Amino acid sequence: GQEFQFGPCRVEGIVLQELWEAFWDMKDVVQAQDNITNVRLLRKEVLQNVSEAESCYLIHSLLKFYLNTIFKNYREKAVKFRILRSFSTLANNFVVIMSKLQPSQENEMFPISENARRRFLLFQREFKQLDREVALTKAFGEMDILLTWMETFYQ
Amino acid sequence: HIPEDTSDLLQYVKFQSSNFENILTWDSRPDSSPDTIYSVQYKTYGEREWLAKEGCQRITRKSCNLTLETGNLTELYYARVTAIDPGGRSATKMTDRFSSLQHTIIKPPDVTCIPKVRSIQMIVHPIYTPIRAGNGHQLTLEDIFQDLFYRIELHINDTYQMHLGGKQREFEFIGLTPDTEFLGTIVIFVPTWSKESAPYMCRVKTLPDRTWT
Repeated sequence: GQEFQFGPCRVEGIVLQELWEAFWDMKDVVQAQDNITNVRLLRKEVLQNVSEAESCYLIHSLLKFYLNTIFKNYREKAVKFRILRSFSTLANNFVVIMSKLQPSQENEMFPISENARRRFLLFQREFKQLDREVALTKAFGEMDILLTWMETFYQ
Repeated sequence: HIPEDTSDLLQYVKFQSSNFENILTWDSRPDSSPDTIYSVQYKTYGEREWLAKEGCQRITRKSCNLTLETGNLTELYYARVTAIDPGGRSATKMTDRFSSLQHTIIKPPDVTCIPKVRSIQMIVHPIYTPIRAGNGHQLTLEDIFQDLFYRIELHINDTYQMHLGGKQREFEFIGLTPDTEFLGTIVIFVPTWSKESAPYMCRVKTLPDRTWT
């Protein structure tokens, strides 16, 4: 079967195609709510040229933020837009991935984890600069950018 | 002030993409004037500026090729069309957020079917896209989609088919009856992106067996 290999962190049992299909089911509804076309939260500087070693730290931070901030506060909208099934599929899979990620806490890894943290902070800062509801909608609509990046670690 | 209804001028502004050839298309209602002119702009999601597409300014046709302008696979794009009719009425409409990786449709493969006496060989040719790597090298679909594979079927008769599949581009069905017609179908699959091409079909007849004549 296929698995994610985020550097040293290996995650089995996730079918990426199912995550995509869940996202595509709601993409038009969600992205249509975001009419700010000149702001992208998951910018190139966040996700491009991420080293294997960094990837486990970065995906861990991003998924944690998506689960604890975005999914948590977007659920009401998901009910309103009738996309709860897709919403749950993505949330549950993200929980499973998170549970299997064990980024190393060893001191020698600090420079790498610090790099990943800087990337994550770029994303978080951009998120905080927007109105709360606008930021939630935009982040939720950018999950295809996140999935596209995750796919590069899917083997 | 009641805004004028200009919905007749512009409808269905969207990207149509196949093998990463990205064409912007739109339509207008039948009752709109044939002399309506259209101008196209595009932008990268996250950027501030809308850019005018050269060659698609003040045109009367209803399509515009934005392949080059939307060719970065890590980017997402928007395009918008402004329509102006002879009476000076205007309307502007924007596409949904567009990602060629997600939206492109895979065309049928290009295949050469070679009949022999007791076998049929099928050679799938590389499918080049307009996408170029950093070094200018033109990418094939296989370069872009890591999990792309081919599925080949040979229809022996109404009930019986033979199947082959894989990432390689050469396949051979063996143990066939000489001087007999077969129908081959070849489909491209990209599982992760849930993409499947329409089939390429070749009808081919094995050669007569002349060994005993």
